[in-house]
Amino acid sequence: MKIKKEELIEKLRELSSNGYNYLVKITAVDYIDHLEVIYFIRNMQNKKEENVRLDLKNGESLPTVIEIYKSADYYERELSEMFGIAIEGREVKRLLLEKWDGLEAPLRKSFQWGSDYKSG
Amino acid sequence: MSDERFENAKREMEQLVVDSLKNYKAPVGAFFTNLKEATKAIASGTIRWSRKNSLWPMQFGLACCAMELMDFGSSRIDAERKGYLLFRGTPRQCDVMIVAGWVTKAAAPEIKRLYEQMTKPRYVIAYGECAVSGGPWWESYNIIKGIDQIIPVDIYVAGCPPKPENLFEALMKLQEKVGGKIED
Amino acid sequence: MLTRINVGPIHPSTHGVLRLVVTLDGDTIVDVEPHVGFLHRGVEKLAENRMYMQSESYMEKIDYAAPMAYSDLYVAAVEEAMGIHPKERAKYVRLILLEFQRIASHLLWLGTFCNDLGQMFTMFMWTMKDRDLVLNLLQDVTGSRMFYVNMRLGGVSIDLPPNFEEHANKLLDYLEKRFKDYEAFLEKNPVFIERTKGVGVLKREDAIALGVTGPVLRASGVNFDVRRDYAYYAYEKLHFIPQVQTRGDSFARYKVRMQEMKESIKLIRDALKLMPEGDALGMPIKLISPPVKESEVIVRRELPRGEGMIFMVTDKQRPYRLAIRAPAFINLSALRYIAKGARYADLFSILGSLDLVMADVDR
Repeated sequence: MKIKKEELIEKLRELSSNGYNYLVKITAVDYIDHLEVIYFIRNMQNKKEENVRLDLKNGESLPTVIEIYKSADYYERELSEMFGIAIEGREVKRLLLEKWDGLEAPLRKSFQWGSDYKSG
Repeated sequence: MSDERFENAKREMEQLVVDSLKNYKAPVGAFFTNLKEATKAIASGTIRWSRKNSLWPMQFGLACCAMELMDFGSSRIDAERKGYLLFRGTPRQCDVMIVAGWVTKAAAPEIKRLYEQMTKPRYVIAYGECAVSGGPWWESYNIIKGIDQIIPVDIYVAGCPPKPENLFEALMKLQEKVGGKIED
Repeated sequence: MLTRINVGPIHPSTHGVLRLVVTLDGDTIVDVEPHVGFLHRGVEKLAENRMYMQSESYMEKIDYAAPMAYSDLYVAAVEEAMGIHPKERAKYVRLILLEFQRIASHLLWLGTFCNDLGQMFTMFMWTMKDRDLVLNLLQDVTGSRMFYVNMRLGGVSIDLPPNFEEHANKLLDYLEKRFKDYEAFLEKNPVFIERTKGVGVLKREDAIALGVTGPVLRASGVNFDVRRDYAYYAYEKLHFIPQVQTRGDSFARYKVRMQEMKESIKLIRDALKLMPEGDALGMPIKLISPPVKESEVIVRRELPRGEGMIFMVTDKQRPYRLAIRAPAFINLSALRYIAKGARYADLFSILGSLDLVMADVDR
């Protein structure tokens, strides 16, 4: 289902009180003028799955969902360093690219391959 | 830089000793010089034989090639029968470092520090294609293309992953090199 | 007074390169903070620059203890994007090879887990020998010991050899006897029981809230397995039962994996009897692949470490975005909650029972 960014927290709260209490993954796709963030949530009783999608313009920030799902910690950290999305509500540290200060948002389409490749 | 200065100094000292013994005109002088050189030859041969038959490796499996390294140390292809005993945890007690797996820019300073902590004489085997030249990840943004960009390597083993029998043959070649048969 | 200890990146007990900063109060753990990223090479970005079937050998190197499971996950995603269904006999062949791969992965885990607990090298030697026998059988079928690349669109690359059934049955009889030996060796051993019973308890509600998967989830009492709930290949016809324990400690996680190995033996025997005759070969790899019909694909599989999922957005000849859900990534994030309040010596019992492979965490 496709929602707007302002309805995210209430929608997830409503889903998690209906039994959708297991967060599978948070991921994002880079369509060059906007980003699409997808949340995969599963109900452990009747084994149904739901994806919640929203659109983000370049430079917008994403609210954190860590009070609703405790497992969102690592997913949000990875998303913020790979796509350059700022997370509002808590301080996120880098996870996979810790000591690598010069590298910004490698999973974006604007990150050129040749910018880091040295031959020989 | 400092090693070359020490080696020059060592050579000069040896030359001084030999020269001083040559000028010594005693009736049994020749016997003593021959005996000294004979003991030196026997001693260095013994030292080389004992070094090459008891190389102790450092446990350094980073990635997939570590699976084959574990197989190399277990009962089917036994590494202990060549003296390649006991994978050790600390670098101060080891002779050989087998780098198995790809090296990223985050792990590179640690590897260089571990190499400098090993005591001399020390040798390095690059096992697997990722350590030889970057392997299948040569286009990635986070990988060092070959371990010989940071530390000097003695033996390269190619394959992805190389079978443990290949490592056995590499070990025997390293033993020839330690024993002095292959020139540096 | 709080002290901080650094369990450094190169350590004999962390499987791969993992750095833990442990905050201690005397002997009790207050906080554990993992630092990862020493093996990150950007597989998701690399796959955007390759054609579909060229990335199959990249996927195998993500989890190197069970490579065929990841390669099967990826090829199934590509097949669903192109609308190709695997052939009937190929479903059974893939199932048999995947269950052998699961036995090999759990045997490796058992050997290194007992190493971590201080039982130096006896269990390691036994389980590595048995794992070698399983890998020899897989080498007879596919030609390689470790990186097989034998999954093709619609089937496998080489069919099973003619005398496979009797070799497999002989090996399975031998493995059943060995599993009895392992249980007799470990389950009455007072040191093993002291170090694993009651250590690292994870309750049922915490397990669901933290998002853990695989044997860690099933050891806490949650009855969920992808092979039964989102069934694929031939698991519905084979009467598959997930193994569940209720305690949630390290011993329960060990027991779940032991039972899973025995269940795999049963599944392989039944599949060998029910397998139909016919053709199991898939399409050979060509430069231009068949046309893509779907634009977004979601595929789930039960890997030996947990539940893996691929979400792929497709372009004409190469994926536009490949998102991989790795089970070890989220299992590592639960370490902080499980290890709070335990003693320092229990840390490696907990870390070993989570069954991590660091290349899976970092991708």
